[in-house]
Amino acid sequence: MSTLQLLNKIPAAECLKFLHRVVDGVCGRSYPKRTDYGETWTLSQWSELLEALSALFRVIVGKKCSDTELLSVLEESHAAAVCQCVKSRQEEIHQALVERTNAISTTQLQDFDWQMKLALSSDKLSFLHTPLLTLTLDVKENGKPRPVTIEMNREELQTLISAMEAANKVVLQLK
Amino acid sequence: MSARFRLGMSLAQACQDLGYKGEIGYQTFLYSNEPEIRSLLMFLVEKLPRESAETSDQPAGKSVLLQKAIADQIKAQLAVPWLPPTCRLPIQCKTQSRGPCHRFSSQPLSVPYSLKVPQNKQSKEVTEYYRDFLPAATAQPSQPISVPASLLELHASELSAAQEWESEWNSQGLLSRLTPEEYRSRKRSRLQRRIEEQLRAAAQPRPDAQGAQRSTSDLAELLQSFGGASAGGDILTKGTRFTHTEKFTFTQEPEKSVQQMAAAASSLPSSRQSEEDLRVQQQEEIAALQQQLHQLAVQMEEVGGDIRHLTTSINQMSEELKELEKSNTENEELVRVKKQTIDLLPDGENNLEKLQNLVEASVMRLDNLKAQWEKHKAPLLEEQRRLKELCSNQEVESTRMLAEIKELHDKIRQSAEEAKKKEALYKQLLTEYEKLPKDVSRSAYTMRILEIVGNIKKQKEEITKILSDTKELQKEINSLTGKLDRTFAVTDELVFKDAKKDESVRKSYKYLAALHENCTQLIQTIEDTGTIMREIRDLEEQIETENSKKTITNLEKILEDYKAIRQENATLAAKIKEA
Repeated sequence: MSTLQLLNKIPAAECLKFLHRVVDGVCGRSYPKRTDYGETWTLSQWSELLEALSALFRVIVGKKCSDTELLSVLEESHAAAVCQCVKSRQEEIHQALVERTNAISTTQLQDFDWQMKLALSSDKLSFLHTPLLTLTLDVKENGKPRPVTIEMNREELQTLISAMEAANKVVLQLK
Repeated sequence: MSARFRLGMSLAQACQDLGYKGEIGYQTFLYSNEPEIRSLLMFLVEKLPRESAETSDQPAGKSVLLQKAIADQIKAQLAVPWLPPTCRLPIQCKTQSRGPCHRFSSQPLSVPYSLKVPQNKQSKEVTEYYRDFLPAATAQPSQPISVPASLLELHASELSAAQEWESEWNSQGLLSRLTPEEYRSRKRSRLQRRIEEQLRAAAQPRPDAQGAQRSTSDLAELLQSFGGASAGGDILTKGTRFTHTEKFTFTQEPEKSVQQMAAAASSLPSSRQSEEDLRVQQQEEIAALQQQLHQLAVQMEEVGGDIRHLTTSINQMSEELKELEKSNTENEELVRVKKQTIDLLPDGENNLEKLQNLVEASVMRLDNLKAQWEKHKAPLLEEQRRLKELCSNQEVESTRMLAEIKELHDKIRQSAEEAKKKEALYKQLLTEYEKLPKDVSRSAYTMRILEIVGNIKKQKEEITKILSDTKELQKEINSLTGKLDRTFAVTDELVFKDAKKDESVRKSYKYLAALHENCTQLIQTIEDTGTIMREIRDLEEQIETENSKKTITNLEKILEDYKAIRQENATLAAKIKEA
C-alpha cells in the first residue's frame, strides 16, 4: 500500500484543509498539528504521510507536470483536492523551491537583527558617549541554526557597510 | 629611586616655569611638609585656566540635554533598591523587569495581495483558497511573537524589490524601448546565458571524459533534489563551490535537462530488471555519439578556418579596390587641366596678354578693397575698444556688488546663528533657573554674615582695650620712673649736703647709693627675665614648627633613598663591568 493512500482515511471535505496546512509547512511555516488528527493515523503513519505529501508537492511543482500516475492510488475526490491545492498554491511552492536552491552553500543567512546602544559611561570613564551597534545574524550552518552576534563601534560599522556596498556593486554588475 | 628623583626635578622645573616664587625642588615632592604643599597647590589652582566659566556660557545642544536627562533617569533607577519580583509594585516592574528579550525571527507569510499578479487575473482556485482556507496573517506564524517580525520582513522585501525594479526600469528599461514584460524576459535569458558561460569557463580545465560522465550523473541527482524529488531531503546535497560548478557545467539547456531528468525518472521504476542491459547499451550509444561529435567538431574547425581565410582575402580585395578608385579620380583631374592648357596653346600671345590684363585688374581691385577696408576698420576698432571698456567696467561693478551681497549674506547668517545660540542659552538658563530650589532664604546667610561681623567687631574692641591697658601701664611705669629719678636726685642732693657735715649721714648716703644701685639692678633683672621669657616662647614656637616638618622621618627617608641610589649605582656599575 502506498503511503499516499493513507490520505483516503479522512473525508474529502477536510482533506483540502489538511493539504493546505501541509503546503504551509513546505513553504516554511508550521506543519499541521498531530493532535488534531491523532485518531486518524498512528505516529509513524503520520510522519510518513507528511513526508510523502511534501515530496509530492515538490515534484509536481518542480517538474511542472501533473503526476496522474502517482495520484491514481487516491480516491477521485482526494486526487481532485490535491490538484486544486497545487493549482492554488503553485506560486508559493515555487518560491519555496527557489529558496531551497538558493541555499546551496553550507552556510546561509536566515535573518538578521540589530540594536543601537549608546554607552554613556564605563567603570573607568565617567563620560564615554559612544554609540554601539549590536548585530545579530541568524546563520544556518549545515541545517542547524546558529546565532552570531557582533558588537561594533562607528568605525567598524563603517568598514562593514563599505564592504557590503562593494559586494552589492559586484552583484549589480553581474545583472 | 633615580626615576622618582628625576620626576621630582621635572615637576619642580615645571612649577618654576609657571612662575612659582617660593623655594621649590625635588625635596618638595619627595619629602613634603604640609604648609609648603599647601602654598604650592594654592598657587597652582590660581593658575588653572578659567575654562569652566566660559563653557557654562555656551548653550547646550539638544543632544546634551537629552543625555543629561538619560543620565539622571539611570541614576534615579540605580538608586532604587532591588526587590524580588513578587514584591514589586507596578512602577518598579517597568524599570526592573528584564524587558523584551525575544529574538527577531521572521517566517514567510502568504497574503492575498501580490504585486506580481494583478487581482483580476487570478485563477478560480487561487481565489477560492484565499476565501476559504487562508488564515489571517497574524495567525500564520507558528509563534505569536514573530508576527511583527514577519510582517516587517514581508513588507521590507516587497518594498525593496519594487524600488529596485523601478530604478532599474527608469535607468535602463526605458532606454531599451521595450514593454516591461519583454524587458524582463530578455534580461532573464541574458542572465541564464551569462551563468552558463561563467560555469563553463570555470570548469574548462577538467575536460576528461570519465569525470564528465560522473559529473552528469551527479548533476542528475542534484537536479532531482532541487526539483523536490528526494524524499527526505530537508538538507540538500552540500558541496564546495567547485563541485557545484562542475556539476552545472554540463547542462546544456535547463529545460532539456529537466526533460531528460523526467524521462529518466519515469523510466527508472519500470525497467529496473533490465538495468544492466540498458547501461551497456547506453554506454555504447554514448561512445558512438561521442565519436560522431568529435568528427563533427573536426569538420567544424576546418570549415571555420576556411571561412576566416576567405573573409581576410575579401577585406584585402576591398581595400585594393578603394585605392584604385582614388588614383583613378586623381588621374581624371590631371587629364582635365592638361586638356584646357592644350586648348589655349595655339593663340599663345593673345592669351598671355589677356591673362596679364586680368592680373593687373585684379591687383588694382585688391588695392581698392584694401583702402576701403582701412576706412571701415578704424571706427569699428574704436567702437570695439569702447564696448570692451564698458564691459570691463560693468564687470568690476558687478563683482563688487556680488562681494557686498555675499558679505551681507554672511552677516545675516552670523546674526541668525548668534540669535539662535542666544535663544537656546536663554531657554537653558530658564530651565535651570526653574529647576533651582526656590526656598533657599537669603536671610539665613545675611544673618550669619552679620553675626560673623559682630564677632569680629567684638574681638577688635577687646584688642583695642588691651592695647590701651598696655599703653596706660607703660605711661604709669614711665611716670613712676620719672618720679623715682626726681626723688632720688632730690634726696641725693639733700643727703650729699648733709654728708659733708655728719659722719652718720655719710653712712646713710652710702646706703642710699647702694639701695639705688640694687634697685636698678633688680629692674634690669626683671626686664631681662621678660625678654628671656619672650625668647623662650619664640623658641618653643620654632620647635613646634620644626616638629611639624617631620624632619626626623624625612631624614630617615632621605637616608633610605640615598642607600637605594647607591645600590642602584652599584648594580649599574656591575652591569657596565659585565658588559
